Amino acid sequence: MIARSQTLTAKDIITKSDDKARGKTSQGESTMTIVRPTWSRSITMKSWEKGRSLSLIVITAPAKEKGQVFLKIKTEMWNWLPSIERMIKIPPSMMLQSWMGSDFTNDDLIKESSIVKDYTHKLLSKETVRDMPCYKIEMIPLPEAAITWGKVIIWITEDGFNQWKAEYYDEDMSLINILNASNIKKMGDREIPTRLEIVPVDKKNNKTILEIKNVIYDQPIKDSFFSQQNMRSISQRIK
Amino acid sequence: MTQYIKLAWRNLWRNKRRTLITSASVFFGVVLSSFMRSMQEGSYDQYIRSIVNSYTSYIQIHKKGYWDDKVINNTFKRNQSIESELKRNKNITLYSPRFETFCLASSEDYTKGVMVLGIDPQREDKIINISGKLKQGHYLKNDEDGILLCSVLAEFLKMNVNDTLVLIGQGYHGASAAGKFPVRGIIKHPSPEVDRTLVIMEIKKCQELFSAVGMLTSMAIMVHDANEVADTKQTLVRSLPADLEVMDWKEMNELLMKQIESDRASDMIIIGILYMIIAFGIFGTIVMMMAERKKEFGVILAVGMQKHKLMFVVLLETVLVSMVGAITGIFASIPVLGYYYYHPIPFTGKAAEMMIEMGFDPVLSFSLDPLILLIQALTIFTFTLIIGIYPVLNIWKLDITNALHN
Repeated sequence: MIARSQTLTAKDIITKSDDKARGKTSQGESTMTIVRPTWSRSITMKSWEKGRSLSLIVITAPAKEKGQVFLKIKTEMWNWLPSIERMIKIPPSMMLQSWMGSDFTNDDLIKESSIVKDYTHKLLSKETVRDMPCYKIEMIPLPEAAITWGKVIIWITEDGFNQWKAEYYDEDMSLINILNASNIKKMGDREIPTRLEIVPVDKKNNKTILEIKNVIYDQPIKDSFFSQQNMRSISQRIK
Repeated sequence: MTQYIKLAWRNLWRNKRRTLITSASVFFGVVLSSFMRSMQEGSYDQYIRSIVNSYTSYIQIHKKGYWDDKVINNTFKRNQSIESELKRNKNITLYSPRFETFCLASSEDYTKGVMVLGIDPQREDKIINISGKLKQGHYLKNDEDGILLCSVLAEFLKMNVNDTLVLIGQGYHGASAAGKFPVRGIIKHPSPEVDRTLVIMEIKKCQELFSAVGMLTSMAIMVHDANEVADTKQTLVRSLPADLEVMDWKEMNELLMKQIESDRASDMIIIGILYMIIAFGIFGTIVMMMAERKKEFGVILAVGMQKHKLMFVVLLETVLVSMVGAITGIFASIPVLGYYYYHPIPFTGKAAEMMIEMGFDPVLSFSLDPLILLIQALTIFTFTLIIGIYPVLNIWKLDITNALHN
């Protein structure tokens, strides 16, 4: 264990972690809970992902939003609204806006940027976070990368290479969001944290919790699955 | 006492022309200043009426903090206890629930940010009279699905009655809101700002669209007239739960109130100048009277009349003459103001355009508040009494021999 960690560079750790979290493809179900000082609400969804460039999300509850579909192809994003039978292209100007009222932005969803390719990595230290020994790595975005953060500090578990905690800083290097992962469970062929909690630092008592109910990795999905036609038919099937 | 009054009265009618001139100057003073005040107050009333009736109503209830941060999550639940409180209050003539928020409106090819106002069609019509502004189509019925579009907005979106408008926005607690609505009617709102942005729909449909069933952004309240606002507000603040805010139309229209306030100040200067002109006119006639009657007073005093009695009689004369002027002034003003109250003077040209742009009727309105007449009559009467000191002082200082030689 110790011998291995000595040979691993920061970039190796991140690469391993990224490969594990993404797989070649993934599909699953999850619930997002938005917590606000006076209320909270949950949204459940099914999602499909292939590589870095293709993903599709369909909302399955609550009833009001059931059947809404989000499609991402590379950097572009569309939203199918069954109640008005319209396809809306989400413009770049709306990328940093909240997704479905949560603390995630549309940009977080797209995740076009790669934590491997678009950052420089530096292993800062080893730290134990919530009983898990972790690598603490500082990631600074490359100048040409389209990333809004000034830097990201990420904690990756030594055992299992799970992204256990992350801190997101803006260009002025002040802390904006804290991400905490927890509840490691076996999902398909791997053990992953199934609960992600994102806490915006400047908004008191606000947070968003993403709980993964199930996920299967590396099942083949055709590219044609990620199309506008398929958005409509999936929406109809869900309704 | 009656003797003095009789004496003064007879004195007055010994020289009819002089008396008529003096009371005429009081008369015109009252008529002119009443006319002016009535016009000023009338136009303020008109401003107030039009802002109250075009949007805010007299009093509104919101969730605390809504007015400063008008977001959809700052809403309160409509409930029986609030409504029974409103029903119980005798000043309140009408209350109407509202749900308003911003979203995107989209036709086939055009999209624009709009304000959506969800209303109870029957109640709200008595406050902001939407059906009276209808240009095409029909007014919303209760529980009817569909929307009313303002005319400039309809033009921008290239929409007509029976077309379908799409509304997209964010609902309560971040839920997504999207729906299709047929256009039932097109209204012409007098305020161009509103006419560009307002979409009206039935409140239940609106709450459904924004996933906020039973929630209100505001409760609009009407009372009999503006004088009851302060009292009613007090009562409501005391009886409603503390997480609600009660605001009157003055607080909701701060900017306009400041304009009216500064307008009032400049009006006071103008009315002050008018008072001075009137006062000097009256003073002039009284100085003339004294000059004419110097010999007469000399003779009366010479034959043994006591000075203080004469002073009293002359003072009574002033009082009587100004009373005649003031009272006839009031009676003459009533039909004049009454006429203009019902037939306001229309503006034309640029001034009219400006007023329409500000959302007002382009007319010069008058007020029929009886207080205006009374205050003007009293003010002019007081001026006359102060002027009345002049002849009294004059008699007191009168040198009999000098007066007789005059």
